[in-house]
Amino acid sequence: MATDTDTDGLIGGESERRPDRERTGNAVINWMEGLSEAAYAYLLLLPAFALLTLIAFYPMIRTFVTSLRANQTRGLDPLGGFVGIENYVDILTGNARLARQFLDVGLTSSFPFIELGTPFFQQALFVTLGFAVISVVVETVIGFGQAYVLDQEFTGRRWVRVAIILPWAVPIVIQGMIFFLLFQPTVGFGSDLMQSLGLFSATPLANSRDAFIIILVADIWKSSAFMALLILAGLQSVDRSLYDVARVAGASPWQRFKLITLPLVMPALLVAMLFRTMDAMRVFGLIESTAGCTTVPSLSCLVVEAMFGGTRIYATAAAVAFATALVIGLIIGVYVLLFRDTEGGMY
Amino acid sequence: MTAASDVAGIMHSDGDEPSIQQALWDAGLDEDIRVEIQTVVSDSATRMQTTQSALEAGRSPPDIHMMDSGWTVPFILRNQTVNLTERFPDETLQYVNDTYLEAILETARDPQSDDLHALPLFPDLGFTLYRQDLIEDAGYNTDGWGTDPPRWEEFSAAVRDARDQAGLDYGYTTQAAAYEGLSCCTFNEVMTSWGGAYYGGVDNLFTAGDRPITVSDQRVIDAIRMMRSFIAGEEENTLDGYPQICPSAIVQWTEQQSLNPFAGGDAVSNRNWSYAIAETGTEDGFGENLGVMTRPYAVSRQEAQYSDVGGTAAALGGWNLAVSPFSNREEEALQVLEAFANREVMLSVFRLGGFLPPNLDLVAEADASDVGPVARYADVVKSASENAIPRPATDLWPEQSALIYQAVNAAYRGVQAPEVAMNDLESELEQSEAEVQANGN
Repeated sequence: MATDTDTDGLIGGESERRPDRERTGNAVINWMEGLSEAAYAYLLLLPAFALLTLIAFYPMIRTFVTSLRANQTRGLDPLGGFVGIENYVDILTGNARLARQFLDVGLTSSFPFIELGTPFFQQALFVTLGFAVISVVVETVIGFGQAYVLDQEFTGRRWVRVAIILPWAVPIVIQGMIFFLLFQPTVGFGSDLMQSLGLFSATPLANSRDAFIIILVADIWKSSAFMALLILAGLQSVDRSLYDVARVAGASPWQRFKLITLPLVMPALLVAMLFRTMDAMRVFGLIESTAGCTTVPSLSCLVVEAMFGGTRIYATAAAVAFATALVIGLIIGVYVLLFRDTEGGMY
Repeated sequence: MTAASDVAGIMHSDGDEPSIQQALWDAGLDEDIRVEIQTVVSDSATRMQTTQSALEAGRSPPDIHMMDSGWTVPFILRNQTVNLTERFPDETLQYVNDTYLEAILETARDPQSDDLHALPLFPDLGFTLYRQDLIEDAGYNTDGWGTDPPRWEEFSAAVRDARDQAGLDYGYTTQAAAYEGLSCCTFNEVMTSWGGAYYGGVDNLFTAGDRPITVSDQRVIDAIRMMRSFIAGEEENTLDGYPQICPSAIVQWTEQQSLNPFAGGDAVSNRNWSYAIAETGTEDGFGENLGVMTRPYAVSRQEAQYSDVGGTAAALGGWNLAVSPFSNREEEALQVLEAFANREVMLSVFRLGGFLPPNLDLVAEADASDVGPVARYADVVKSASENAIPRPATDLWPEQSALIYQAVNAAYRGVQAPEVAMNDLESELEQSEAEVQANGN
């Protein structure tokens, strides 16, 4: 590997250099030593990239190729001929062979120039994006608050920590069953309570809007603890003396938060938000165990339904899966682009 | 062979205790052949996924797949089952064709060639369970209801009065959640009892692609409006003469959730499968006070527009056995299936597990002390088999079923008018059927 020391003449001046082969006796090692630091780093990363390509990109490429074929519900061959982007056109125009659509929006001549083919809460793209945005924002705010509390010194802090972190230990299916039973009219009190307040219908788990809210609350209940844990790690790494200095300088609590806490916690916060966003975009288990994918269809629900729904529509399933991966990739891309210049970096 | 724990638990026994395996050996199965069960979950949709994974991968064992009568045909059409018509001895084939319930045989045949590709293990039928004591106390005569059910008007009035007089929370509980059970069974029954059909009568059940779509007919709309009346009383999109008897929660209930209030004594009537008779008809349960019948009706068979609909109805469920074409032990697997097509084996399965025999004449022959309360209702079981209505289980059924149960559930909940929901559904089904015409699949 090339270093400053190398070129500064450990071996000697240009005139005294001997051919590479003579330096180590191995041309490959000599070539590697001649690389810049960046090039050498990439060289070392090559095996990892190759492995990643194999286990991540190869299935994606195969999925994409499958999505360009026709569905074949009969016969031994599960796929028909090449149909180009027909399956993508179908899923983006609300014509896919699915009970709930990926996207079903039409254009009109009058304001606002678009109309929904099916209700908002029955289109997987809107449900997933809505779920991801609302859940991540609320969980971040609540998680920050919880982490702030946990970061303080007070009697019984240990028990408060346990109470806050406990929901994170609940398995998804149990979490789903808790909320399912809570809103079963003959079992839980949730339906009656929310109906008496005029907020929900009598059968909230059968109503897409109500069920969406229930799933959102269930996710926030559990995942805020995850945000709190990661943000707490960030908070605890802040040098306490900075606050003392700020106090002496006359900074208000808000100024201390804005100028010290937030910037220093930002890297941990962004990592936590990124993880939660990816998780929220892939939501499936919670929906399946609470209201079911028919009532609240997410993108992952659609993939599972298309793949295992019974009618063999593998090409449509592949198109939905690939489009879902693109949407998630796009969202992650937004994160990386928006926060690339943030202090502490975003990878 | 794949099976859920209910069948797995009776396949083998300790010592000389009776078991299905012993019955198979007694029926002539080679004693070297022992049926090993690969236990799967009881949920039908998950089992379909497991079967699909194994067969798409060409994996074996399992050599014999237990398939729901609702999704056997798609596997047949994908050439993922062994043709039993070609492989069974003539006498076995004749015994099956002559004595098995025809409705379940249709779910095990190739709709194009009519060849048998799976052997029915047991059928199941939808029944209406009711508290005979409460309804009679309310002043209604239930004599003959078992095999000659009343019209919906009389039934709903009786349930309402019995509920009010006994001070119960619920009248009639059934399954109306947005799931397969709504499209295949409970709505299929109600629609049939109104003389309606998905595809213009039972002749078109298994021939996707070139058949009329009749979900927007007035009979179908009226069936939904009646259910809306049962759920919501006198509100919009309901039907006069049908009182509120169902809790609104039925739109998110499946089998067990609808049975619980009835079994707990909080409801007058419940629509369910034969296991519910065994569960509630014991002496510890309602005993002789349990009344069982097929569905009440609104339009008689003579008044119905399409063939073999109208009058009472009982949805057809049940399971078939299919041999995997990827099996390395195909001969042995076929021998096992042949042994299942035996009178004594069917009775053993009935006795040990309570599963109805595919030859329903055997129900009357079973000893009541052996098979429990179901034997008491042998005449109702017979009547149900004569009025069995299968789902249109083609290779397109899974996708069409999802469209149907969503539309019907939305109409039941009142978020869509029945006419609108059924018109939308008609267009969606037309699009689905067009796939067959356009692509042959």
